[in-house]
Amino acid sequence: MPPIRSARNRKPPPEGFEDIEDTLLEFSNKMKDAENAPHDGKKRHEMLWPIFQIRHQRTRYIWDLYTKDSISKQLYDYLLKNGYADAMLIAKWKKTGYEKLCCLPCIQTKETNFNATCICRVPKARLTEGQTVQCVNCGCRGCASSD
Amino acid sequence: MLKSTHRPQNVGQSPPPLPPGWTEHKAPTGHSYYYNAELKKSTYTRPTVQTESTPAEPAFGSPWQSYPPGIPVQAGSPFGPFQQQYGDGFHRAEPAIGFQSGFTRPRDGRGHHDRARHQPQDRPKSKHAIPDCSPWLLVRTKLKRRFVYNSETNESYWRIPEDVMKGVVEFDRIEREKKEARERGEDVSETLKDTKQTEVARTEEQDGSEAAEDVESDEYEEVEVTDEEDDLNENPTKRQKTEEEQVDQPVDFNEDDIAYQLAAMGQEYGLDPGEYGDGEGQEWEEGAEGLPLTEEDSAALFKDLLSDHNLNPFSTWDKIIDEGRIIDDDRYTVLPNMKARRAVWDEWAQDKIRDIRAKKEKEVKKDPRIPYFTLLEKYATPKLYWQEFKRKYKKESEMRDLKLSDKDREKWYREYISRLKLSSSTLKSDLSVLLKSLPLSELNRSSQLENLPSALLSDLRFVSVSPSVRDELISAYISTLPAAPEPTDLSEEDQTVKSKEAEERKRREKALQARAKKVEEDKRRQQKELDYGKDRLREEEEQIQQAMKFGKQGLLSHLETAPEHGTEIANGNTQA
Repeated sequence: MPPIRSARNRKPPPEGFEDIEDTLLEFSNKMKDAENAPHDGKKRHEMLWPIFQIRHQRTRYIWDLYTKDSISKQLYDYLLKNGYADAMLIAKWKKTGYEKLCCLPCIQTKETNFNATCICRVPKARLTEGQTVQCVNCGCRGCASSD
Repeated sequence: MLKSTHRPQNVGQSPPPLPPGWTEHKAPTGHSYYYNAELKKSTYTRPTVQTESTPAEPAFGSPWQSYPPGIPVQAGSPFGPFQQQYGDGFHRAEPAIGFQSGFTRPRDGRGHHDRARHQPQDRPKSKHAIPDCSPWLLVRTKLKRRFVYNSETNESYWRIPEDVMKGVVEFDRIEREKKEARERGEDVSETLKDTKQTEVARTEEQDGSEAAEDVESDEYEEVEVTDEEDDLNENPTKRQKTEEEQVDQPVDFNEDDIAYQLAAMGQEYGLDPGEYGDGEGQEWEEGAEGLPLTEEDSAALFKDLLSDHNLNPFSTWDKIIDEGRIIDDDRYTVLPNMKARRAVWDEWAQDKIRDIRAKKEKEVKKDPRIPYFTLLEKYATPKLYWQEFKRKYKKESEMRDLKLSDKDREKWYREYISRLKLSSSTLKSDLSVLLKSLPLSELNRSSQLENLPSALLSDLRFVSVSPSVRDELISAYISTLPAAPEPTDLSEEDQTVKSKEAEERKRREKALQARAKKVEEDKRRQQKELDYGKDRLREEEEQIQQAMKFGKQGLLSHLETAPEHGTEIANGNTQA
């Protein structure tokens, strides 16, 4: 039987966690609010938008801190391991052309009818003049790297 | 928004009484002005009781202050932009003369004074309960606007909240049905209706307004009362005024005027032209960009702002902006746009975090055992087993600290309890042994009881002696010690760096002040020009009107009564 990890016998988080703890707590509160928000008047696909958006914001926050060397590698790993940031999304951000990717479903080509990415991946320059887009997956308004 | 929106209602009313100490006088030009002998101040604006201490307050405050709490005067009210646009800067320039009753303005005194005359004199007229939204009331005002008012929480909104909206729609439907029923009833008593001309006029007016409301799609949004609306459905006596009134109509604004006003507004908000302009660089007034602040200076100023507000560098930019504390600061405007601000914020946060980390590395880590030991000292007794103690004080932060393991806690607890059972003499001797083991750099003659070294504090031999005995022992021991050895000092360099930074900062602040002064001057000058231009425009308009009128009459009289030509022209002259 594996050992039961309760709050008591857990390892303490790495150094520097208490600095960002408040912000992370705010994000998790926001996430809870978004989860419990009423869905009436919303379209079916709209319901998940805030979830994706908050997840993106939180991941971006941690990633920015890490790339600017504001948090240690240990803390970054700890945050990834404990689900504060989305490691898969960050993995995409490391690739050229995906630096601003909004969410993972938006690049799942196999899930669309014409094997194409989401509309929000199209650069603004390629869209017709004055066309505003908002993708169905996460409500993104455009996340091409060239924008 | 560029037009004036209101006509005053208080022309026929008598003005409110003056506060004590103020007297009214007539100037040679016919203006009345007010003088306070005690304060030795004179002003054109009529001082009211509320504004007694500050009679030069912008005239906008006063009409709203007499309002019941029901009238919302807040952002999002239709007056939000109005007040902002013609806010204090506008009225500080010259005293407004709009509030005097029966005051006939000299012809050339038009211009921007009309703004003051157009002040809204709105008042709640009737209130209705909204069905199914019990604390909310729908209040109609004199100017046919309406807002909702919550009698329980004393809240009122121009923009009707969504949950109340249904009730309002329902209410409107009921009203319409009632009105239709009433009209049907009035059809029967047709004869009565003929006699009462006034009532017909009233119902017609209502019909008109109702129709207008029905046509408007944004009926439930904020209702901006413009001059046109005034003319349509305000009291009809207004419309009987002749050409004089016509002149008061806002002149058509051409593009230049709009650009001009935009620039003035932008200056009032303290924006740079780059922020509101349309990218036509050559049209910006001189000096707006070329002020003595360089790019680095403005970035540094913004950083000063960030440091002054004690912002958390680990926070997010969105949150900082949402809080809005920094937006009120003058230095917020030194950077032209949000992108630049964000870049500076990122840079600042990075630097700050680096500083914090460096500082943390330098400073001695506080031993987590110390607070736990103080907890033990406070609560631990030989009567409690560890399990009981743990259960009893599990809510204490010391018991939940993740840096200590439960095993250690238990060990220390047991040790502490066992030490409590020892005789006091052994405890004392243990403590003296501990004291002697400490090096001179940590414990010396200059050390105080309040800040003893952590090596001492985090030792059970220290904790287990009762505080009164312990303090005596330690102070006696400290007095026997020699002075501390000379610490090696590095602070010379630090001090020079610090003084340099402070100097730099002073210089930047000075530059900002100079810039603010210049902007203020420019603003004033531009305001003056604007006023002058408007006066000119209005005068010309008037002249044209006059000329046209005169020409028509002259022609008519010429056709009809040729011999009386001369007198007619004279009449026309006097009329005009």
